[in-house]
Amino acid sequence: MSAGRFRDLLAAEWIKLWSLRSTAWLIGAGTLAIVAFAAQSSLDTYQSWPGFTAMEKAMFNPLDEAFSGVSASLLMIGAGSLGALTIVGEYATGLMRFTLVAVPARHRVVAAKLTVVAVVTLAAGAIISAGTFAVSQAVLSGRGVAVSPGDPGVLRVLAANALLAPVAALTGMGIGALLRHTAAAVVTVCAALVIVPSFFQPTVHQWLNDLYALVPLYVWRTCLGLSELRDNPALPTVAGSWAAFALWPLAAAVVTLIVVRRRDV
Amino acid sequence: MIEVNGLTKRYGAVTAVHDLTFTVRPGHVTGFLGPNGAGKSTTLRMILGLNRPTAGAATIDGRPFARHRAGLRHVGALLDAADVHGGRSAAAHLRALAAGNGLPRRRVSEVLEEVGLAAVARRRIGGFSLGMRQRLGIAAALLGDPPVLMFDEPINGLDPEGVRWVRGLFRRLAAEGRTVLVSSHLMSEMENTADRLVVIGRGELIAEESLAAFAARGAGASVTVRTPDPAELAAVLALEGATVRTDGGDALTVTGVDASRIGELAHQRRIMLHALAPRAASLEEAFMELTADRADHQADVRTGVRPDRRAEALAGGAR
Repeated sequence: MSAGRFRDLLAAEWIKLWSLRSTAWLIGAGTLAIVAFAAQSSLDTYQSWPGFTAMEKAMFNPLDEAFSGVSASLLMIGAGSLGALTIVGEYATGLMRFTLVAVPARHRVVAAKLTVVAVVTLAAGAIISAGTFAVSQAVLSGRGVAVSPGDPGVLRVLAANALLAPVAALTGMGIGALLRHTAAAVVTVCAALVIVPSFFQPTVHQWLNDLYALVPLYVWRTCLGLSELRDNPALPTVAGSWAAFALWPLAAAVVTLIVVRRRDV
Repeated sequence: MIEVNGLTKRYGAVTAVHDLTFTVRPGHVTGFLGPNGAGKSTTLRMILGLNRPTAGAATIDGRPFARHRAGLRHVGALLDAADVHGGRSAAAHLRALAAGNGLPRRRVSEVLEEVGLAAVARRRIGGFSLGMRQRLGIAAALLGDPPVLMFDEPINGLDPEGVRWVRGLFRRLAAEGRTVLVSSHLMSEMENTADRLVVIGRGELIAEESLAAFAARGAGASVTVRTPDPAELAAVLALEGATVRTDGGDALTVTGVDASRIGELAHQRRIMLHALAPRAASLEEAFMELTADRADHQADVRTGVRPDRRAEALAGGAR
């Protein structure tokens, strides 16, 4: 029998995600807000550019106008909450019981959920990354200070910007599976992904630097999000940073799988 | 067919279900009865693999439910009508369930039609009444056209027309050769629906038999008598070999002597009667009698509230 193919489970999760109005609102409004933020910030710079000192002009980073630390934080909180809600929403309402009666193989349900959330947030992240870049560089090219995707490091930054969304979303799902409570999950997502890492600064203690180098937002801020890397042993390496980006969603996927399989519903 | 074998569930020191064994056969509506807190829902969840049993096992058509790939094609279950996300429309809720089992889209409109929700299919579930949610839950259970159906307290929240409809539906499903298990804490709900009963109390099996056999277990027919002189009448009836219960007021409940004989005796002794009412043995009484010592939420005798009424009130309050 063809019933219960993985494709069917993906379809079910897809319908569940998009049949909630909050999904379209969150993704639509979030994307618009971050792109509008890039436009506003670039226009600001465009207007005040003639008044910049030579020093300011030399230090100017056009990618910062497109996608700043604030944008990164907003994107991670939005995507992390979306990931958390896809699983908390099922547990908190009891819908998980219906879902598991329909598909008793829990690992398949989790795999489908992870896949759909990863794909949707990666797409949203890519649109935001490309959109903010296009808008800001179009404005800044008027002053001749724009960069193009072909310039060194730019593609890496764009990829890292886009990947922040699925990294945060899958981590959020793991937190949601553990806590199964809406408010607690969203608060924990904000704290773990954004608030706590924003206090991290490179220090003289290398063990602390190594610890920080495991945190997505920190490695984005100090490495992956910069087109020109500073050569400093206190800062994370590019390879290490990509590993940190992979580590969190993988760990979260494993946690989600174990928790959902073991717990009574 | 549902087979439950030695099923046990303990939560720490509390035993919710203890060594439960019973079989639910196709072609019948089987009532699953027990007072609130007896372990009915826990049992249903263990049968469906949602809760892991501490010991024992359950199978559906010979296999543990968790082995089935497309669950809805094997079992339809309504566990709790509240188990839905209020933000989705009725149609989207069912469409997601259908998609996961590779069921065609038209099944969604078919079951919505069947339960009478076609007109509100696009409305968000959050605005549904409990009765509408029960219908939606029943629609979800019917989605995969399954041979086995389980309903946990499906009557809650339905209006009288809905109750009649759902009874007819259960009987029809059974007549089609399906296995139908319907849980309830109220015997009266079973009287017109079930042919067989599985009765539990405090997580243990009390009875597994036909409705008729179960009714026969209860106290036999009794007669209620009201008289201004209950003490004397009680003494007279006791001489006749009757068992007499008094409520402390002017009423007596008499078993072992029929109404006409009570009337004769009262006439001979010139005892005035205000009422003389024979009552047939009822399922409700059989149920009460068997579960009285095993109900978790016993009403205080002094308040005069019968445990089933109290249970009803509790169930109503919990919604």
